[in-house]
Order: sequence, then C-alpha cells, then structure tokens
Amino acid sequence: MKLLIADDEPAVRALVHVTLEGDDYEILEAADGVEALEVARGEAPRLVLLDIMMPRLDGLEVCRQLKADPDTSDIVVVMLTAQAQERDRDQGLAAGADDYFTKPFSPLALLNMVERVRHTQAGAD
Amino acid sequence: MRRLRVQVTVLLALLGMLVVAWGAAIFLAARDAARSNNSLQSTVERVDELRRAATRLSRDFVDMETSRRAYLLTGDRAAEQAQLRAEVSAVQGFEQVRRLSGRWRALVPVVERVADEYRAWVRTGHTELAARRERGARAAALVAARGNADQHFRRLWDRQTALEDQLARAQRAYARSQDRTYETAQALAVRTALMMLGALILLAVWLRRAVGAPADALRSASGRLAGGDLETPVVLGVENELGAVASDLETMRRRLAGRMEALERLRHLSAQVVGATSLQRLAEVVLEGLRPEIGATRAVLGAARPAGDLHLRALAGFPDPAVADDIIKADAEIRLVLPLPTLRAGQVVGMADLDRVTTGLPVLRDLMARMGVASLALVPLLSRGRFLGLLALCWTEHHQLNREQEALLGLAGNQIAGALEAALRLEEAERAAGEAQAVFYAIADGVLLSDPYGRVTAMNRALEALTGWTEAEARGRPYAEVLPLATDRADGPADLVSRYGRKVPVAVSSAPIFDARGRVVGGVDVIRDVSREREIDEVKSALISTVSHELRTPLTLIHGFAELLVLRDLPAERQRSSAVEILDASRRLARLIDDLLSVSRMESGRLVLDPRPLDLAAVVERILSPFRAMAAKHTLRTKLPANLPVVWGDPDKVEQILTNLVGNAIKYSPGGGEVLVTLDVDGDTVQVSVRDQGIGMSPRDMGQLFEKFYRVDREEVRRAGGTGLGLYITKRLVEMHGGRLWAESWPGVGSVFRFTLPTSDELAGSGR
Repeated sequence: MKLLIADDEPAVRALVHVTLEGDDYEILEAADGVEALEVARGEAPRLVLLDIMMPRLDGLEVCRQLKADPDTSDIVVVMLTAQAQERDRDQGLAAGADDYFTKPFSPLALLNMVERVRHTQAGAD
Repeated sequence: MRRLRVQVTVLLALLGMLVVAWGAAIFLAARDAARSNNSLQSTVERVDELRRAATRLSRDFVDMETSRRAYLLTGDRAAEQAQLRAEVSAVQGFEQVRRLSGRWRALVPVVERVADEYRAWVRTGHTELAARRERGARAAALVAARGNADQHFRRLWDRQTALEDQLARAQRAYARSQDRTYETAQALAVRTALMMLGALILLAVWLRRAVGAPADALRSASGRLAGGDLETPVVLGVENELGAVASDLETMRRRLAGRMEALERLRHLSAQVVGATSLQRLAEVVLEGLRPEIGATRAVLGAARPAGDLHLRALAGFPDPAVADDIIKADAEIRLVLPLPTLRAGQVVGMADLDRVTTGLPVLRDLMARMGVASLALVPLLSRGRFLGLLALCWTEHHQLNREQEALLGLAGNQIAGALEAALRLEEAERAAGEAQAVFYAIADGVLLSDPYGRVTAMNRALEALTGWTEAEARGRPYAEVLPLATDRADGPADLVSRYGRKVPVAVSSAPIFDARGRVVGGVDVIRDVSREREIDEVKSALISTVSHELRTPLTLIHGFAELLVLRDLPAERQRSSAVEILDASRRLARLIDDLLSVSRMESGRLVLDPRPLDLAAVVERILSPFRAMAAKHTLRTKLPANLPVVWGDPDKVEQILTNLVGNAIKYSPGGGEVLVTLDVDGDTVQVSVRDQGIGMSPRDMGQLFEKFYRVDREEVRRAGGTGLGLYITKRLVEMHGGRLWAESWPGVGSVFRFTLPTSDELAGSGR
C-alpha cells in the first residue's frame, strides 16, 4: 500500500519510515504542503499523514484541497500535529481529515491505524 | 436741676401757708370784729344810759320848772315840795350824767355848760321862790317879771337839748361803726379767698407747664419709640425728673439707633461676606465692613485644620503681603499666646497692649513690629459649635475693645464663620472638581460623559485621539455618532470605528451618573484601547503555540523511537540510528529549554552582565577549538590583528555570541567550506565578523532573521535543526554589551554576521 508522510521535520519522517518498515508499504515523503499536494495528486496514495505546521502551505489547507478534488477525495487523511488543543482538532476535522494524531504519538498506534486502513481497503476492494 | 419733688413740696408748702394765712386772717378779722363789736356795744349801752340819765334830768328840769311856776302862782306848799324833790333828783341826775359822760371828753364842756346854766337857773329860781314865800305873789311876780329864771330855764333847756342831740348823734354813729366792722371782716375773707383762688390757678398753670405738657411729650416720645421711630430726638426742655426721664429716653433712643445702625452694618457685612467666595476676598470684605465700627485697619484670617491647628489663609490691609511668611514662621510663638480654649468657647478676646503679651517672646515682638500691629482683637469663628478658624483684627495703635464692640465682633464672628465655612467648602469642592477634571483629562483611557438623552457633554484627550473627534466638535452630538462600536459577536470584543474609519479594538465599561436624589443625570463610558493587549494576547498565544510545537517535535521523536526500541524487534543497525535520533532530539530539547530560559531572563531583565576586560583574540581561539575537532568538512580560520585593544564584556556571554555565530556558520554551510572569524578595530569598538560559504539567504529571508522562533523556510534549514532562538538571543546579548549585530548574505554564496564590542568600559545601554 502506498502512503504519504508530509512533515517538515526530517526526523519525524524517519520515525514513520522506521515504524512502517518491512510491512510492505510504499512510503512517499514530502517536506512541505505544496510538495505534499503534488505527491498526493501524482502518486495517489491511499493514506496521507499530514503535519499541520508546514512551510509554504499548511496541512489544513492541503487536507481541504485534497478533499475538494474528486480525484483525491478518497484518500484517507490523518492529521499529525503538535497542535494539541481541541480547537486544532476541530479545525482538522472541519477541513475533512479522517483521523487525528497528536504529537507525541505512539508509533504502534499509528501502525495499527495504518493496518486498519489497509484492511478496510482490502475489504472494500 | 430743680427737682420736681422739691418744686411740688415748695408749692404745697406755699399753698399750705396760704391756707393757714387765710384761716388766720379770717380768725383775726372775726376776732377783731367781735372785739370791736363788744366795746361798741358797751359804749352804745353807756351812751344809752347817758341818754336816759339826760332824759331823766330833762324831766327833773321840767318837774322843777313846773313845780316852781305852780308855786309861784299858787304858792302852794305842795308845789314847793315837789320843786324840792325834783331839785334833789336833778342833782342826782346831774351826778349820773357827769359820771357817765366823763368817758367822752367832747361831752364834758357840753355837760358843764348845762350845769353852769342849771346853777344860774336854780339860783334865780330860788330867788323867785323866796320872794314868793316871803313877800307873796306880787313880789314874786315882780321878781319873775324880770324873767331871769325863765330865761335861764330856756337857756338850760336849749343846752340840755343840745346835749341830748349830741348823745343821739353819738348813738347813731356807734351803730354805724358797728355795721362797718362786719363789712371789713367780710371784705378780708373775700380777698383772702380770691388770693387762694389765684394761687390755685397759678398752681394749676404751673402743674400744666411743669408736669402735664412734659408728660404728654414723654408719652408721645415713648409712643414713637415703641412705634420704632428712632430718628426723632426726644427733647423736653424741662429740667426736672421728667426731663431726666426724657434725657434717659433720648440716651436709650440713641443707643437703640446705634444698635440698629450696627445691626444694619452687620446685615450689610453679612450680605457682603456671603458673596465672598475666596478666603482672601472674605478677609478684605470683613475688614472693610468692620473698619467703620471698630477702627481696625488690618485683618488676618486663619482656618482651623482638621487636626485642630490654625493655618493662616488670608491677609487684608497689610501694606506688605510678605508679612504672611513672617507670620507663618512665627507660628509656634503665636500659638503660645493664643488663648485657644477661650476662643474655642466662642469668646472674643481683645489684646489691647501687645507689648505686654509678647514680653519674653522676641520673635513675636519682632513680628508685631514688622506687622505694625500694636493691639489685636481675636474673633473666634464658630459654626454650630465647631471651631472653624480665627479672625484677628489689628490696630496700629493701642485699642481697648468696649463691650459694644465686643458684642458686635461676636455677632460678626457668627456671620463670618458661616461665610468661612461656605468658602472652605467651595474651595474644597473646587479643588475636588479640579482634581476630577485633571484626572478626567489626563487618564490614559478614553472617557466620555453624556447627558440623560445620550448627548456627549465631555470627552477626554485619550478619547479624542481614539475617535478622531475633538471635544468641542463632539459636544452635543449623539453618543453613538461619536462612539460607533462594531462587534462581530454580541459577547465578543468591540471595535471602535474612528471618524476616519480606523478600527480600534476597545473594552467599554459604562455606568449611569446619579444625582443626590438618585435620578440619572448622565452616563460615563470608559473606553480602553485594547489593541496592545490584543496584540500581546495574540503574540502570547502564538508564542505558546510555537513553543509547544517546538517542544513537541523532539518529544515526538524521543517518544516514537524509544517506543520502537522497546516494543519492536529492530535490526541492530536501526536500533543504533534510533538511539542517535533520541540523543539528537533530547539535545535539541535541552538546547531549546536553555534558549527559552535565556530569552525569558533577558526579557524580564533578570539576565545581568558581568563585564570585565577581555582578550577577544584568546576567546575566539578558545571557542573555535571544539568546532575544529567536530567539523570535518569545514576549515576554521581566524584573522586576528596584533595589538588588539582590550574589550569590555561578560566572558560567558561573549563566548555564547561567538559560539552561536560560528555554530550557525557551520550549520548552514552543509557543503563545508571556510569559516573565517575576523577581528578589526573600528573607532572605540572592535568589530567581529564571522563569514561562511554556506547556503546564504535572500533579502526576503533576512527580513525577520533576528526575531524569535524565526527560521528561514528552507529544507536545509529544517534539516539543520535549531530552535529559532539563537540569533534573537545573540542579538540581544550584543546589544546588552552596547554593540550592534547585523548580517550580509547572498543565497548560495554565504553569509557574514558582524558585531561590535566596546573597547572601553562604555557599556552604554547595557540592557540591565
């Protein structure tokens, strides 16, 4: 399964890499919002992990655009952010995100979530 | 003065004497009348007796003649006898007549003439008789023819008749004189009665003049006085008790008129003092009003302070007002001689001779001499029993207060006290109003006052600045026009829209203004410009957000990699890289915390420099050595001139500055290259340059270079890590040393960061 991790922090991308390594995932990376949007449109991953505070275009806007575009609106968007307040979660969900992870997050919880998306995907297929 | 009592006594005595005299006159007259009446009576009786005796004598004469003639004719013996008897009786009768008439000398010759004739008659008669008897009738007739005896008889008869006539006349005269005695007594009585009547009339006239008219005048004068006419003088023009009463009345009138006049002046003074709104004016008015009454030419007005001591407030009539300072300086001495307890009791105190009072107090004596004051009257000013102050009236000469003046001053004191109280209250109100106004206009928040109809009555400077309206323009306009508020949400913050359309976030608090009876007389609105607060709020919230983000990122890495290490069976090579990630993240976290603390200390002013002379070249060499050991790709070079002046700086902080800049130079030149540190003398400063051959920055990137948490939005920068606080802290530290930090950069070529440090100890703007 193809998934995209968009975070301006390389170490966070590395963490996601290590977490999902060896489980047959094709992991795409983006360091800012614009790049994330390009990769998502070009590669059509099943899942996008989106950091909110990113250079050039923030994660909420990326999410909104993905959900607005019929070609990408099926992509499962999971917000991954340091913004812990309730308001941020509301904003994320309002932007159309499917789930929400607050930093620091548990890699295993992330793995479970990704697995669940994959199985849902499989069942749907 | 002839006393009325004396006059009346004298008059009554005179009257009494008159009455006594009248009585005496009547008594004496009556007595005289009675007495003369008695003597007359006896005289009359004697005259009567005499007349009877004379009559009997006459009869005897007739009997003798008759008897003689009869004898002569007849020769009858009986006739002769009868003639003898008659003769004897005549002798007796003569005797009686002689005796009785002896009292009246005038009668004696008359009686003697009768007696002479009688004797002649008797002799001749006897001759005839003898002739008859001896010689018979013829002889007798012859003798008788000669007629001697008859002739004598006729003559005797005539004489006797004359006597009787005289006696009858005397008898009539005595009767007449008896009548006259009564008339005299009556006339006396009438005259005395008339005198008494005159005296009584005189007395009545006198009483009318001396008592009646003055009494009437007194009555009308007292009536006038009672009726309130104090103008007309009471003049009587008599010098007695009534005159004395009149003069007393006149004195009373004058006093009353004086009192009335004083009252009138007091009333005038009262009207004047009521109009005096300042204490100075009050002092002047009081002096002006009292001067004609008591002659004082100067006045000092003092007010009691709440603590109870007196405080000089105003002078009047002093040619040199600087004397006020002298009076204030002599305060302690003045208090020594002030009879405060007496004054507090409301008693006017006169000090007629200040020389005596100030004996032994040279300061006071000097002061009084400078003031030109020789005597004083101290008038306490009490209102409802409260001691408000003191009026000191001053004379340049010795002056003894009289009781009337004292009473007047006491009354005036009450009036002045009322005015003083009002003036003090007004002063206080004006002061309070002035304060309120000053506060109103000076207060930093906008304040607007409006009337009950919502029209602007006043606004302060701050609100003028906020709204763009001036107070003069805004006055009378509706509240909402001057203060239009726009709100996004009903409970949200309001924006004030200024006259020129600028929106200012404001906090408004309003309250009604009540008068003493609780009616709303207007409103007050306090408008606070909260744009700064809102900005601070926004900055704070952004900062918290940023800090939380910055903290969570390394925490996420530590948490994530640690969890993977613990829960997943990672290959050995992955385990190591994970541990390195954890290590890096924790270092980053620690640095971030350090930097945050530094920023906090700097911003709160708690970061204090400890400057001392520094050998900058040595510091540069010292900080470069660890970098040299670590940085394999970079060449670290220095350009240090000889004879570099000693700089002033805090060694730790200068090291921190250099470390930050050199660290950045290495961090942002990932491709390696040269890092050059140069020191140059530039006037009073030493300039330090750190040059790299790294990624560089565009002018846009450099705009916020030295702001907190700013990081250039580039992947290389991300990759380099960092807190975004380093350059902010570095710049602040340089500035605390009195230096300057700036940068030059060219994308893809490299950057130069330069800063200066002072060479002397001029730590201007050391940022403490």
